[in-house]
Amino acid sequence: MKTISKLLLAISFAISVTTSAFAVTAVSWGGAYTESQKLGYGDPTGKKLGITINWVDYSGGLSEIKAQKEAGKITWDIIDVFAMDTINGCDEGLFVEFDFDKDFPPAPDGTPASKDFFTSMPSKCAVGNILYSWNYAYNKNNVKGTPKTIKDFFNTKKFPGKRAIYTSALTNLEIALAADGIKPGKGGAKIYKALNTEKGVERAMNKIKALCTDPKGGCVFWSAGAQPPELLVSGEVVMATGWNGRFFNAEVGEGAPIVQVWDGQGLDYEYFVQVKGGPNDANGMAKKALAMMTSTEMLAGSAKYIAYAPWRKSSIAIMEAGEPWYKDGKTNMVPQMPTAPANTKNYFLVDPIFWADNGTELGEKWEAMKAGL
Amino acid sequence: MSSETQQILTTDGIPLEVSLKKAERRNKIKAFLLVAPLLLFLIITYVFPIGDMLLRSVDDKMVTEMLPKTFKAMEKWDGKELPEEEVFAAFHEDFIKLVEEKREGKLSTQLNYTKNGFKSIIKKLRRKSKNFEEGNYKEQIMAVHKRWANVEYWNAIKRRAPAITGQKYLKGMDMYKNETGKIVSVSEDRRIHRILWLRTLEIAFFVTLFCFLMAYPIAHLLATLPMKYSNLLMICVLLPFWTSLLVRTASWMILLQQQGVVNDFFVGIGLVADDARPEMMYNKTGTYVAMTQILLPFMVLPLYSVMKTISPSLMRAGKSLGGTPIVAFWKVYFPLTIPGIGAGCLLCFILAIGYYITPALVGGASGTLISNQIAFHMKSTLDWSFASAMGLMLLTGVLAIYWVYNKLVGIDNIKLG
Repeated sequence: MKTISKLLLAISFAISVTTSAFAVTAVSWGGAYTESQKLGYGDPTGKKLGITINWVDYSGGLSEIKAQKEAGKITWDIIDVFAMDTINGCDEGLFVEFDFDKDFPPAPDGTPASKDFFTSMPSKCAVGNILYSWNYAYNKNNVKGTPKTIKDFFNTKKFPGKRAIYTSALTNLEIALAADGIKPGKGGAKIYKALNTEKGVERAMNKIKALCTDPKGGCVFWSAGAQPPELLVSGEVVMATGWNGRFFNAEVGEGAPIVQVWDGQGLDYEYFVQVKGGPNDANGMAKKALAMMTSTEMLAGSAKYIAYAPWRKSSIAIMEAGEPWYKDGKTNMVPQMPTAPANTKNYFLVDPIFWADNGTELGEKWEAMKAGL
Repeated sequence: MSSETQQILTTDGIPLEVSLKKAERRNKIKAFLLVAPLLLFLIITYVFPIGDMLLRSVDDKMVTEMLPKTFKAMEKWDGKELPEEEVFAAFHEDFIKLVEEKREGKLSTQLNYTKNGFKSIIKKLRRKSKNFEEGNYKEQIMAVHKRWANVEYWNAIKRRAPAITGQKYLKGMDMYKNETGKIVSVSEDRRIHRILWLRTLEIAFFVTLFCFLMAYPIAHLLATLPMKYSNLLMICVLLPFWTSLLVRTASWMILLQQQGVVNDFFVGIGLVADDARPEMMYNKTGTYVAMTQILLPFMVLPLYSVMKTISPSLMRAGKSLGGTPIVAFWKVYFPLTIPGIGAGCLLCFILAIGYYITPALVGGASGTLISNQIAFHMKSTLDWSFASAMGLMLLTGVLAIYWVYNKLVGIDNIKLG
């Protein structure tokens, strides 16, 4: 008995040592999103490499990793971040710079990684994982007629009622200009060209201001991703901008009377970065795990659980071949992707460089505008 | 000489005075050792971080060290027109060194704090500077992007020259020091911090006031009711106190929104028309209601603990001496509760001033408070020195309130329980 217990102790000790040595810590936003990452590519990657990938939740921003670095004790390996944060973190020297085609595997047909990804990366430290959309949706029980365009979102004569929009300037200014008649152009270049001028910013602000002060319209500002569908379902607003994955969950997952509109959508990205000096940086395990998680098949896996598009074009082909791809076994996922051709007739790509440049100043102007409402 | 002979000695021959002092010192050390852990704790968790914050908010050596030659060359420059070639050449030299050390990203972040728009032009400059030819750097740098030919950007660089600076504090008040050294306000469409400070103070003040008005009768009832009823009432006060803040905020959203429970009820009993439902959420009303409810226990509990100690016979004595109930209350009871009022108001106000989740969720357009701005700079822009400066300004505000309170009421009068 005694020997057995000793043996067990020794084994458990050995296991704990080996697993702790190769436990890669990935940090993400939590909820259904992290669930899709864990089930879609985290666990399969861990299985293939014989390691554990632990998922930790955080609420975005780089303050925690910066604090870890300043304290000299880094515990995170991989972080899921916004585009702007990949730029800021790369500039601060927090993340590992990649040699993209060498570090990441090519598509199954041999296309190098840099060509297989939807667009180029905003910084040398970033590798994309999903694309999501800032689109809008309406409650079909509370709206007479069918809103089809981004202009309809601002058309309070035809569709009276309150609107829910995001609490800070990000994407609101772009959407306002798209609705005010600026054709986005390739990837939204024309919108950002306009926003680079004082006049363009003023025009966008005025458009929002007009909507919010309109007695037939009015604005509710949302700050948490769960709010837009909730506000629509409760009837508090008739239309809301939001993240397409959340709308999809309410619409398909919960059967809510919500309809998404893709005109004038803003495509935005999520990225993985690898922390410089993280626990599995020196042994190369973090990079290995990251490369596998962002391979064609793995990225497609996450779209089984959530309506966000994988970054690789080759992943879409896998999904198409495997439809219905959604976990319920009856919903086709490709048309739900923000990158689907039917959804990208009129869109802009959220420009991280523009926001890295002007985020603070526009944020101040935005708050000043809101204060005057 | 005579004093020596009069000295009293203990049995082992040491003067009594010395022996006593020794014993006393030993006791003092013991006492100090007892409080030492707490003192250490306070230093580590309180004095040290605040000191660090203070240093961070004024320390600006990073940029000073990054561009030593540029700042030297800029000394003679008056900041009115674009600087001479000499400055551009010095900047180029500094910049090339930074690129070699891979530190130009940090420079771009820092300069972007001073003036938005530096991030992209520094990236562009890094790319282009590889092909620069020797000499005439002014032309070459200005050709990279039109912002490099804008004197405001060079002024922004010059503003970062001093190693120690109070700029972040000025920025917190929507002001800056221009090239002539005058302190001026930023353009009108960007004055956001002053609005936020005032709004924060206003909301904190009114929430404290509402808490006081509601908590006083509740606490009085709690203190005077027989035990079996007061226990039940106490649970009613404490139950929400133990419930998660987010849950309470979310329930207020469900209750008060335009299609919410309260409005449905109003429409149901015919108080308001269906298409004229009042807006009680996503505006200041919502913020006041939710924050008052959340902070109410912080007012009730100190008031209750003070009122519990006031003997009911004092009110009876007041009345028997000829005072009406109101007079007896005002002259006898109320003054005795002031320590509790002070404690409750200070607690509520200080908590309210740093609140941000609730106003952000229920406050609508006017929902942002100064703490949201601090969080934004902590998490998003990583401008920790600006966040520190605003944090210290907030702390100074709290200390000022404490000081005023001390002058008006006296801090010894405070009583938490």
